[in-house]
Amino acid sequence: MQGLRSGAAWAAAICLLMSAADLMAGDFTPEQPRVAKLPAPDPARMYVSDVAISHIIDGRMHIVDGNTLKYVGVIGLGFTGLGRLSPDRREIYVATTYLAKLNRGTRTDEVDVYDSQTLKIKAEIAIPPKHAQALPYKGVIATTPDGRFIFVQNATPASSITVVDRKSAQYVTEIPTPGCWGILPAQRVSNRFTTVCGDGTLLTVTLDAAGKPSGEARSVRLFDPDKNPVYSQTENEVDEYLFLSFYGDVLSANLGGETAKIGEKWSVIGESDKQANWRPGGYQPFAFHPGTRRLYVAMHPRGKEGSHKDPAAEIWAFDTKTHQRVARVPGNNAVALAVSHEAIPRLFGIDPLSAGLLRYETAPALKFGQRVDGFGEDPILIEMQ
Amino acid sequence: MQWLDDFFERKTREVAQLTSRRSALLKFGKILIGAGMLFPILPFDRQPQAAPGGHGGQPPQDEGDVNKDTTCEYWRYCALDGFLCTCCGGSINECPPGTEVSKVTWVGTCQNPNDNKAYLISYNDCCGVTACGRCMCNANIGERPAYRMGVHNDVNWCMGNKANAYHCTVAVALGIAEARPHA
Repeated sequence: MQGLRSGAAWAAAICLLMSAADLMAGDFTPEQPRVAKLPAPDPARMYVSDVAISHIIDGRMHIVDGNTLKYVGVIGLGFTGLGRLSPDRREIYVATTYLAKLNRGTRTDEVDVYDSQTLKIKAEIAIPPKHAQALPYKGVIATTPDGRFIFVQNATPASSITVVDRKSAQYVTEIPTPGCWGILPAQRVSNRFTTVCGDGTLLTVTLDAAGKPSGEARSVRLFDPDKNPVYSQTENEVDEYLFLSFYGDVLSANLGGETAKIGEKWSVIGESDKQANWRPGGYQPFAFHPGTRRLYVAMHPRGKEGSHKDPAAEIWAFDTKTHQRVARVPGNNAVALAVSHEAIPRLFGIDPLSAGLLRYETAPALKFGQRVDGFGEDPILIEMQ
Repeated sequence: MQWLDDFFERKTREVAQLTSRRSALLKFGKILIGAGMLFPILPFDRQPQAAPGGHGGQPPQDEGDVNKDTTCEYWRYCALDGFLCTCCGGSINECPPGTEVSKVTWVGTCQNPNDNKAYLISYNDCCGVTACGRCMCNANIGERPAYRMGVHNDVNWCMGNKANAYHCTVAVALGIAEARPHA
């Protein structure tokens, strides 16, 4: 009987509520679920690759509005997906692996093409099942400056480069690059890339009109890999590429011609920094803004063998013309740095300890601006719009 | 590439067991292919974290014990980057049940504080099962970028296996090196 009485009470209450709803209906427009649109493309839009090691078959690329560090979208990277924007920033390319049964089964590798504004997939281009199942370091996937060809680093563990024709959406060829790593495309021509070799030289590969190799040339030694190895990340102003070594040398090479030409070398470590053993550290440990000729480097003191991926205690800014340090600010544990492509850039970083993103203003002086934590699990690489 | 993988695996052991120790050390540094996995978790990123299983996985319970193989400080882990198999149902030299041992691997050189000798350590990944997610460690002594692939740990060393999902990493002692590494 208790249940019956309760039921009657509920029925009465619902009637009352419905009456109230009837009375208010004139003031209420029912909502319809719909899909949000990304904010318009902006120089501060960030594409942040996250290897998500605890479920590595399901990596992510977080899309973030860097003006406010607001999360605005995500695409799936698959198993060790390597992402890169097209030169016109309208597409995102992801070279990745899918296993047919999640953690087992037939391996399929492909370059997935996403629209960078709708985040919808546009094409899936099959490639040999060899793409490097590696951390998404900058340079493991790249394009020619005209956007025609996409290059993907392979590892079996033997090194080679897969060439994909974006125009025909077809795999073209595989170019063996034994003992070398990374893809640094020439920028004034669209038929050439350079790769960094384990003997300290640079190997330049020139392609024919179909994307197949037509010539190879090796430079003199850029660095001594035994004494002072360079990070695999590079930054560039057109064909002038910058490299950073474990001990803080900035090296340069022109990669526009058939053979790479080695340029100037200088150090970010001043006399007064040597005692505390300051060194660069991280996974994307420096950023470069050609327009203002500013180089930003993630630095830590008490450097030692094995500390080359340690997070930043400070970020140092240099004028690449005078080689003078122009600023040093707290590093907020940054292991990745990138600048926005605009006249007065903003500097962005990743703090892996909190999966946090960082924004610094660079003018009138380098200054920390904002931090927001919790962008996925293991964010490791930033690419700016 | 099966032949190549088998070749590397065989060579690892032959070199470790048959050649002079110094020669072995050199060869390992130059030729060998490593285990370990990527990961942005840093050597000091071991403080207990608010959400177990969250960023970087559940940290080890015991801090800083060079003789406890479920902590990142265990002496064999000087260049290990990945989940400790000792926390995942395996042991220091056994992959957990249901997995398979990676066919390619790299060898770090780690100092054993108990006898002050340097040991050649093979960091095999264990493969074919979803990521373990426990006891994430990241140490990089002797680690180099991938143009020196034989000493690179930011890559999936299950890549040479047909079942190439990454699960965890073991640290197998292969031999004794002659000199203290990375002094």
